[in-house]
Amino acid sequence: MKTATRRVTTFGLPAIMMIAGMPTAAQAHLVDTRLGDFYGGALHPLTDFEQILPWVALAALAAFQGPQRARWMIVVFPLALLAGGAASLALPNPPFAPILGISLVAITGLALAAAVRLPLPVLLAIAAVMGLLHGYQNGEAMVASTDQLLFLSGVTAIGYAVLTLVTGTAIAFLRGAGGWRPIALRAGGSWVAAVGIMVLGLQLVTPAAS
Amino acid sequence: MVPSKASLHLAALLAAIPLVPALAHTGTGLASGLESGFLHPLTGPDHLVAMVAVGLWGAQLGNPAIWVLPITFPLVMALGGLLGISGFELPLVEPVIALSGIALGLLVALQVRPPLWLAALIVGVFAIFHGYAHGRELPEAADPTSYAVGFVLATGLLHLAGILIGILIAWPSGAKVVRACGAAIGCVGVYFLLASVGVIE
Repeated sequence: MKTATRRVTTFGLPAIMMIAGMPTAAQAHLVDTRLGDFYGGALHPLTDFEQILPWVALAALAAFQGPQRARWMIVVFPLALLAGGAASLALPNPPFAPILGISLVAITGLALAAAVRLPLPVLLAIAAVMGLLHGYQNGEAMVASTDQLLFLSGVTAIGYAVLTLVTGTAIAFLRGAGGWRPIALRAGGSWVAAVGIMVLGLQLVTPAAS
Repeated sequence: MVPSKASLHLAALLAAIPLVPALAHTGTGLASGLESGFLHPLTGPDHLVAMVAVGLWGAQLGNPAIWVLPITFPLVMALGGLLGISGFELPLVEPVIALSGIALGLLVALQVRPPLWLAALIVGVFAIFHGYAHGRELPEAADPTSYAVGFVLATGLLHLAGILIGILIAWPSGAKVVRACGAAIGCVGVYFLLASVGVIE
């Protein structure tokens, strides 16, 4: 079990970070992944820092709440992603989406940096809002030829996989010896928060920058 | 406490490394995204040495500074970044960033141990200026989020490098090496300060 956890820590997180870090300037970026619509949906959120950063921060924050609370988030978040994706097929784009998206980066980062102990409803509310918004934003990337069911299944699956892997890894990491472990996660949270604060400031100063 | 002769020799050796005066380089063309953000703190030696010095000093100060520092620095730096983004004209950015290298290098070299609040204040003021220099380029970035991720990540890794080098203080000879690094950083800071005020071309 420990070996498996170590493997996940050693290979899983760097792999996710690598995938997230590879693209440059990936804006409205889905035309055809040539991997099929399921994998198109699965890869789509990983190409956007405004999505992957708060996912990782939320998962680490859930780890600070303990496994029992974190389990609920692993259920709620993917379902919210699916619901948001479905909503993108019927509802107009909310005008506050860009600001809310980057605000979530700052909020989750700050909460992680402070290692706040959140009531379960608050944690789940953050997960639900983030899932709905990111599901909608990913769903918007679908074009006429996209198989909607496959694409949204991919988005939901990757949301579940990332949240589960990162939460599990963070819980195992925090259980290890050494007082530096929570500090390392909190430092990561402050990095996420710093990015969120600056980009939020940029959007408020120059909305076109979003 | 006076630095040893060996420390001073090492400091002189490190300070002799030739550097191009790549000053805290605000507004130098188009920033694209992750790569340019990541390289921004690394291609300005004045940024680079000051960030390493922050880590070194944190390691020297020990608990709680060593953990307060990496958590709070990025957040304070973000406030400086906001000033840069807003277009606010912060005076003397390049000289102050060079000065941060001198001050932090000296603090490490002399093993100064002020109260935590004072250490946080010193580092915080410099964090504002470093963040401002990065933030000035953020509006120009093709992908601002990736750019911000890049420079926050690079800055954090530089702190980490400083902290890891700072582990050497566990050994007497290692402590001298750390202090020599501080002295060298101070020398680099002097060089960039002179460059920023036009004494060195």
